[in-house]
Amino acid sequence: MSDQVNLTIDGVELSVPNGTLVVDAAKMIENPIPVFCYHPKMAPVGMCRMCLVEIGLPVRDRNSGEPVLNDDGTPQVSFRGLQTACTVQVSEGMVVRTTTEVVTKAREDVIEFLLTSHPLDCPICDKGGECPLQNLTMEHGKGTSRMDYSLKMKLDKHVPLGELIYLDRERCIQCGRCVRFQEEIVDDPVIRFHNRGRSLEIVTMSDPGFDSYWSGNTTDICPVGALTTADFRFGARPWELTPVATLSPHCPSGANMTFSTRREAKSGGRSVIKRIMPRQNEPVNEIWISDRDRFVHHFADAPDRLKKPLMRKNGQLVEVEWGEALDAVAGKLQQSGTAVAGLSGDRVSNEDMFLFQKLFRQGLKSHNIDLANRRLAGGDVVAKVGISQGSNLLNLGQGDAIVVIASDLHEEVPVWWLRVKQAAQRGAELVILNLRPTRLDECSRNVIHYQPGQAIATLRQLVNDAKVAAADADNSPIKAAADVIMQANNVVAFYGAEGLTYAETDAVARLLANLLLIKNEEAYAGRPNNGLIPVWPHNNTQGAWDMGIHPALEPGYKPAAKPGMRANEVYAAAQTGALKALFLLAADPIGDGLMAGRGQLDFLVVQELFLTETAAQADVVLPAQSWAEREGTFTSGERRVQRYYPAIQPVGEARPDWQILAQIGERVGLEKPAFAASLVFRDLAKAVPQYKGMDYRALARVEKQWPDVGGDDLYYGGNAYENRVGLGMQWPAAAESGAVDHFEVADVDSELPGKVVVVRTAALFTPGTLINHTELLQARMAQPTLIIQAADAAKLQLAQGEKVMVEVAGRGVETAVRLSEDTPEGVALLRGVPYQAGLTELKVMG
Amino acid sequence: MLLQEKYPEEIKGILARFPHKKSAVLPLMHLAQEAYGFTSREAMQEVAQILDLDPTHVLSLAGFYTLYYEEPVGKFVLEVCNDLACALRGADEFVQMASRKLDIPVDGTTNDGLFTLKTVMCLAACDRAPMLQCNLKFEEHLDEAKFDALISRLRAEAAAEKAEPSIVEQISAFAK
Ligand code: SF4
Ligand code: FES
Ligand code: FES
Repeated sequence: MSDQVNLTIDGVELSVPNGTLVVDAAKMIENPIPVFCYHPKMAPVGMCRMCLVEIGLPVRDRNSGEPVLNDDGTPQVSFRGLQTACTVQVSEGMVVRTTTEVVTKAREDVIEFLLTSHPLDCPICDKGGECPLQNLTMEHGKGTSRMDYSLKMKLDKHVPLGELIYLDRERCIQCGRCVRFQEEIVDDPVIRFHNRGRSLEIVTMSDPGFDSYWSGNTTDICPVGALTTADFRFGARPWELTPVATLSPHCPSGANMTFSTRREAKSGGRSVIKRIMPRQNEPVNEIWISDRDRFVHHFADAPDRLKKPLMRKNGQLVEVEWGEALDAVAGKLQQSGTAVAGLSGDRVSNEDMFLFQKLFRQGLKSHNIDLANRRLAGGDVVAKVGISQGSNLLNLGQGDAIVVIASDLHEEVPVWWLRVKQAAQRGAELVILNLRPTRLDECSRNVIHYQPGQAIATLRQLVNDAKVAAADADNSPIKAAADVIMQANNVVAFYGAEGLTYAETDAVARLLANLLLIKNEEAYAGRPNNGLIPVWPHNNTQGAWDMGIHPALEPGYKPAAKPGMRANEVYAAAQTGALKALFLLAADPIGDGLMAGRGQLDFLVVQELFLTETAAQADVVLPAQSWAEREGTFTSGERRVQRYYPAIQPVGEARPDWQILAQIGERVGLEKPAFAASLVFRDLAKAVPQYKGMDYRALARVEKQWPDVGGDDLYYGGNAYENRVGLGMQWPAAAESGAVDHFEVADVDSELPGKVVVVRTAALFTPGTLINHTELLQARMAQPTLIIQAADAAKLQLAQGEKVMVEVAGRGVETAVRLSEDTPEGVALLRGVPYQAGLTELKVMG
Repeated sequence: MLLQEKYPEEIKGILARFPHKKSAVLPLMHLAQEAYGFTSREAMQEVAQILDLDPTHVLSLAGFYTLYYEEPVGKFVLEVCNDLACALRGADEFVQMASRKLDIPVDGTTNDGLFTLKTVMCLAACDRAPMLQCNLKFEEHLDEAKFDALISRLRAEAAAEKAEPSIVEQISAFAK
């Protein structure tokens, strides 16, 4: 049987893959059959009957099986009344009619029925203007109803399903998209139908209500205004909104999103961000974003944003003009000779980072340039064996394997968690190596929980076992996992830093690279849908590696002739006086507990959004624009370079980071600054060979994506999905174009620091500079918690719920004790606290 | 934890009957209703916990089936069918009469906590209308006199602490 099926829809002949649903086939030829319950990302349920069409099948002779022909030689087709286009698969010779009188009548009737008890409150409904029910009623409804208005049921219109999402019971048309999304897609079945018929209602029993990192997506796919976010409801009308493409400012997945902005009188005519919705990019985040991404934007408009440059005069930080601040910074940096250092956060753009290192390397002749908070190593390894161009986690399934080590993807990068989980549901084998259970374990048959301190040894064992033929080794779980990997068609490996030191993560990256290279000529590395993905802590950690924010690597991974100081050396030198001047770009090392204070520094300059703890101690504070006010590019953990766009006017006198850096550069003798981010990108693409062929135009290229969730019909809800401004470009790993040598792996045996070791674990809603500004999420923030098993707790005389002070990154943090038998012996998991590396001794303070 | 305290054996018996734990949800909810008096939030939490289900799933079932009561009910739940066939044989008048006699509205519960009056859809006893079910037991060919007799009998039983054969017995029989 051929893979393609020929059919006719309204006289148009087409050929589509076997198994395609009639509704999708029609959409492919831009003949949108109206739907409510159907959603192309979910299994069809045939609940709403909106998609009724006439479907005819060719008549075959009972004896010969041959098609029966009409007198004119055309095949005879028999129609069997109306069928739901969303549940019927195409078949050879099928004839679909969507424009006949019966179909038109059926659509009218279904609309009339759905509206029998609909409140028709479109004028005050958030969805009005982008509402599938409204649109399809205009298009297919009769315009009148036999239903008496007074018989409409009055139901509660403000039901909080938790504090993030509200339900309007009157508007719900019971399509089940929200319930199915939670169950089928994200596996958090915390909302469901309750009661039947007119009394049906969406309910939740979780605590907090609607407890899912994905809850906001249900408001996008709800085909009516029944589900709305607390953030956007009654905030604006969709037709007043301007969509502006952006990217997640947190997440290394590079999730594509859209701001909806509106100019508001109460903001003095400024554009205001009213909401964030997903933007379709199938290889990145499809059409889903986590609630952190959806609600994080409030920091951009926060009242405590820095608005003018500040300079310390007589011990006080006072507002000054830009010229004075820039002159002072340039002068002081130059006076300090080479006793200067620049440390960057990993959330700023490639353009910013490129100019930052250029200021130091070329302007100040210093290689003292690094990330302020380096957690995960292996960027250089990723440059060689990172996931290949053209990969898409959606392509992984039966016969493929995915390795995850030292990471809790659900908390760290939910988009990747979702895509890995779904690959497992499609049949991919997961090999999970962690020192404690994580949520992905339930999708895996190869879960290995190593002892604290044994991550490297376990992975080394796995790689060694993978080199041995399947038959001649014992059948330990590690060997079984190794066999799963070696038998897979494609292998993708994620690695994180949970419980590991920086040096250990480097060993992990190298060992995984060797695993991907074992088959030599036929190595996994270098082929599409294969390779390494680092679970970077931030949205642009990858870009930092690419741009040479590294004391030993210049842009494009070129080894520096004379490596500079690493961040921890910089912090130490600041205390001893060996360093004179320090420039911090979007970093708060004092607040993060990495630097004790400004120590013996002569000069400290901080470029930031807010007056952080570090900024408060600076000599000059330069106000930078947030990602919502400017354009730039981020590079995702899959090495996809993507653009984001300015959505709102600058706050105060804040300037884009790259511009400030260029203006300082000019003052220390570098060339005149470029006047646009695109020009900075052009320069950096020349310096970074991996970015060859990229420019702002190429990054903005789009092509038609499937499923087609855009278009005028808007029946999948929302106006922000369509990606009109760029899918981004992945840069090629070295293994794609030539052989890569196996990696040397240093011995990094770690001693356990105590009987009970502390492992800091990630939580999606961990307090931070940006997210703290979203009022709405505060109730969901991970509270400092020490999770420990009962036996260990008893030894330490800790009780459930008790509050204890423990040391985190050198500071005391009050944590609540939670007993859990999921925590391995000898381990205390610390959640909801700032990052700290490796394993530390559990120190309960006073 | 009321459910597990009250009916440990029954729970074991029920679980043993099903290859998948979650299939036991409906009988367990009946038990929970018995233990808690109605399918309270707590009751559903407990059922969910026993079966490793999301509590929202259990809540959703309680809403779907009419024999789970999400509000407290009396010791005897009188469910009068007033669907079309019964209505034609005077069910509506019968309900009005019952409501007057018990001095409660439909869906109300008497102050002594003994009776709850409800109306329901067809119970498949149309030929014996007016009829009702009292804690799942049918009372048929009813009229005012028979209703009075029924109420007196139930009051007496309650006073003697002897109730109708409860759902627990039916479930225990099923669990064997
Ligand atoms: S709330 Fe919206 S998505 Fe959910 S069932 Fe109702 S109409 Fe459908
Ligand atoms: S029944 Fe087909 S879209 Fe709802
Ligand atoms: S406009 Fe409100 S439900 Fe469609």
